[in-house]
Amino acid sequence: MSAAGATIELALDRRRRNAFIRLVRRPPAALAAGVVLVLVVGAAAAPLVAPYKPNAINFTHLFAPPSATHLFGTDELGRDLLTRVMYGGRTSLEIAAAATLISMIAGTLWGFVAAFRKGWVGETLMRIADAAMGMPVILLGLVLVAAFGASTTSLIVILGCLFAPATARLARSSLLSELQSDYYLAAVSVGASARRIVLGELLPNTLPVLLARATLVAADAIFVEASLSFVGLGVQPPGTSWGTLLQAGYTNLYRSYWYPIFPGLVILVAVLALNILGDNLQRVLDPARA
Amino acid sequence: MLRYLVKRLVTSVFLLVLSSILIFLLLRVIPGDPTITKLGGSIKNVNPRAIEAIRHQLGLDRSLPSQYVHWVGGVLHGNFGRSYFSQFPVTTLVSERIGATLELTILAMLIGLLISVPGAAIGAIWRNRWFDAFLSGFTAIGVATPAFVTGIILIVIFGLKLKLLPTQGYVSFANHPFVSLKTALLPAITLGIAVAAPILRILRASITDVETAPFIRTAEGKGLFRRQVVVRHVLPNAAIPALTTVGVIVGSLLGGAVVVEYVFARPGLGTLMVDSVFQRDYGVLQTLVLLAAAAFIFTSLVVDLLYGVVDPRLRTVRGDE
Repeated sequence: MSAAGATIELALDRRRRNAFIRLVRRPPAALAAGVVLVLVVGAAAAPLVAPYKPNAINFTHLFAPPSATHLFGTDELGRDLLTRVMYGGRTSLEIAAAATLISMIAGTLWGFVAAFRKGWVGETLMRIADAAMGMPVILLGLVLVAAFGASTTSLIVILGCLFAPATARLARSSLLSELQSDYYLAAVSVGASARRIVLGELLPNTLPVLLARATLVAADAIFVEASLSFVGLGVQPPGTSWGTLLQAGYTNLYRSYWYPIFPGLVILVAVLALNILGDNLQRVLDPARA
Repeated sequence: MLRYLVKRLVTSVFLLVLSSILIFLLLRVIPGDPTITKLGGSIKNVNPRAIEAIRHQLGLDRSLPSQYVHWVGGVLHGNFGRSYFSQFPVTTLVSERIGATLELTILAMLIGLLISVPGAAIGAIWRNRWFDAFLSGFTAIGVATPAFVTGIILIVIFGLKLKLLPTQGYVSFANHPFVSLKTALLPAITLGIAVAAPILRILRASITDVETAPFIRTAEGKGLFRRQVVVRHVLPNAAIPALTTVGVIVGSLLGGAVVVEYVFARPGLGTLMVDSVFQRDYGVLQTLVLLAAAAFIFTSLVVDLLYGVVDPRLRTVRGDE
């Protein structure tokens, strides 16, 4: 590699590192990142760190309010709710992560193809995205549940489909603006292959925008999964997610109003933290658009 | 202006057609037959002739294009089809349920605007650091809180603890206006908070934009009180970009109503939709979702046309397109 090339690499490297440092230096962003980390670790390491076994039934402690022994209280079978919330987080976060991945990959492909094929193909692709976005997310979600059924796997596909159109629109618009750039022109003029231009030049440059978007999609995925599970059209028992815990709490609201409060607050905190993180990522990585 | 209007109308109709195809195909292409639930859930002990008869009766034995044309043709003539499950016409089901949803969404929109507009105005007039922080916190939390969480918290506080307000059900406004509003209050506040947060966020962002405009400096320079500057000059101009958000929210109120109606056990269109998914009652579901999509597309059309009315500059610019 030439000296000039190395210098550019270095400068780019520095820019990326700076972005991370700038992100962490924002107090809300750092706090949000910390919260997300706690939630993820709490869910992933639940078997190690949870105070009880997830199905340890205790009939002497039904519907216990929060206390030192049961921080979030207990449920209708005397199971510890903090433990249940940690295990439920595994399902909720797994679904959210997988759905985000699907929607990012599908949406990026969708948007890129639409940006490159200017004719009727691109036009049709974007109009389909418009039509899908022309319906409230929850309602389209209901249609998809009716079509695919309600299970953990189908939820992942459903949520992936739900958020792909908006991702496609973003991917298309950010790619179109990259196509105006000098480096793209340079790459084309030196005769670089299409593959190299897309994977080596365009994708890395649109990645920051897409990364910020992915964080916001994850927040929405948690939100919608919880909503669907809450009305009984999401994760099905005996599967446990934050949404199903909340629903179980809601049906027992008149026996213990503490029961739904903590699963609800955890959903709120997770969505809030991811939103804050996504907004700050957007400001750091893509100042022009934010 | 006329050319813009026509162009906008054509794209709206086109979008609606595309949405209807999307809904229709999603509910047909994937296996899962509504006749099975209708016959009692288990297919094993059912006479295949009975299934055939029901499929024929519901028109499910026809080709997909023919089914689609039949459905959309019916909707265009005001015939929304029948429920696969209960055999009632969808029109009857909708007219039974729409009252609860309309009352909820209208009240929620009012509450949402009553929180967001004065909130943004006071924030702009007062310019207090702590109040601004409070508003930012409210929008961030409001946007991130699922309506069922707000709903449950409100039920616990006002229903269970204070025993002030009813938490379940629906009373027709025509029969008992006061009781009806009282029953609708908690659900409306729940949905209203979800509505207020995004409106407040966009209003504050566009107020920040407008504040730097030269005409604001002029208004301040000619000695108007801060209150007058905000109410007469900042807010009207800041409201224009916020219109789009308000339009999107009005269009998606039905989506929010799904969860809120479930929490407060209101027999509205939202609960009807959830029930129809449970029963695989596609006859009801497809029409309801199409109506929701139509409402969504229609509001965004109206908002776009309103822009031309509110902001005369846009009329000429867009007319030249």
